[in-house]
Amino acid sequence: MLLSTLPASAQITDSASTTSGRRWYVPKHAVLQAAGGIGMVSGGVGYSVFRQRLDVDVLAGYVPQRYAGTKALGIFTLKTTYTPYTIPLRNAAWCLHPFSFGGLVNYTPSRTLNRSRDEKYYDGYYWWSSTIRFGAFVGGRVARGLKPAGSGQPRMVSLYYELGTNDLYVVSKATNLSGLKVTDILTLGVGGKFTF
Amino acid sequence: MIFTLISLIRQAALLTVATLLLTGCELFEFSPNDVRAPAADRDLTAKNLARLQAQPKPTGGDTLRFVFTGDSQRFYEEIGPLVESVNRQRGISALVVAGDIADFGLRREMQWVNDRLRHLKVPYLTVIGNHDQVANGRQAYQEIFGPLNYTFTYDRTRFILIDTNSREYGFNGKVPDVGWLQQQLADTVGIRRQIVLCHVPPSNEDFDPALVKPFTEALAKAPRLLFHLNGHAHSFSISEPYADGVTYINSFAFEKRQYVILTVWGADQFKLEKVAF
Repeated sequence: MLLSTLPASAQITDSASTTSGRRWYVPKHAVLQAAGGIGMVSGGVGYSVFRQRLDVDVLAGYVPQRYAGTKALGIFTLKTTYTPYTIPLRNAAWCLHPFSFGGLVNYTPSRTLNRSRDEKYYDGYYWWSSTIRFGAFVGGRVARGLKPAGSGQPRMVSLYYELGTNDLYVVSKATNLSGLKVTDILTLGVGGKFTF
Repeated sequence: MIFTLISLIRQAALLTVATLLLTGCELFEFSPNDVRAPAADRDLTAKNLARLQAQPKPTGGDTLRFVFTGDSQRFYEEIGPLVESVNRQRGISALVVAGDIADFGLRREMQWVNDRLRHLKVPYLTVIGNHDQVANGRQAYQEIFGPLNYTFTYDRTRFILIDTNSREYGFNGKVPDVGWLQQQLADTVGIRRQIVLCHVPPSNEDFDPALVKPFTEALAKAPRLLFHLNGHAHSFSISEPYADGVTYINSFAFEKRQYVILTVWGADQFKLEKVAF
């Protein structure tokens, strides 16, 4: 009995101060992604701000040893996605976000890589970092509203895709405008978000 | 109006999905450092060697002709013209790349180079360079190309390809593997001439200083060594830096838009031609 009354009273006090009805630091959604340069699979949590248009996610990715050579790779990613348009579909539960874009930065621990900034090299031997990658992407998303949680909190599930690239691929293309095709440097990722 | 818009969007979506499915597998990248590649892009050294052994030698007598290049790293615009130029040459048996296939040690870079070099009419063979070992490059090189140290014999000419990128191993005293090199040089059964191909030459600061002496002495003692071929410096040079009878030749990098044709005959005769493309 005590347990069932607690969330209700917590919601009342919270909704007085915030619109989301919960503590600010509690993530708004969970993410699961395949590929896209940040792991065979990666998962994490994130926040939505600016009327749900800007998502900021943190993800941990994994590439099994089979696809990495001698050791599995771990990849830690900070990603932000801006989704400006929402098109409601005929079935009111669904909506389409035809276009989004974003950027990411990730770190692959040097335990698994021959690090370009290792002490065996003198300063500037390699100009780039082999463990930190910057990426950019465009994509789209479809979302479906779900039955709200017991607390009244709206819930939603969405599926997205991302066509992206990374800084080293961009450098390769920029220095070989006719030597590489745009498709040579593209990566594809797909994923799902559960907003709770 | 809205109806046509919806059908247009639907068509565009279908087209996008179809395109993504066709190219999707290649684009669906786990990490730039992963080593996942389609079977056609793997074990290229073994495949090129099989092609070489299957092909009849295009030159008569004991003459062997091959193209010597190096450092293709991030010079994709130059590969097409190089391939066209080499394909116009006569009597070429193979092309060799003296390391630094990739610039950032990424698997996709090695695939980009192969996508272009596979249009050569002749097989091509590579040795690993220092740039091929950055990040997860050593794993990627082994997946895409093959072993780091290997040998092959064609027309009684033994090519010995060896990883000399000592700095990449923190000068651990094991790279280059001089013991392995000595073994390969000592095995002369049916061999008329020997050629050593690597990336970093012993005169370079990236070569293990502790191994310069044993390495160069092994070459000087080799019974049938024709010359030592390397890359790394990007500009062509030919010299005998240790005054021990061993000739060292540095390849042109792809960016120089030149390559070298080496024609060898007899026990120790060779001709060197520079070709601009």
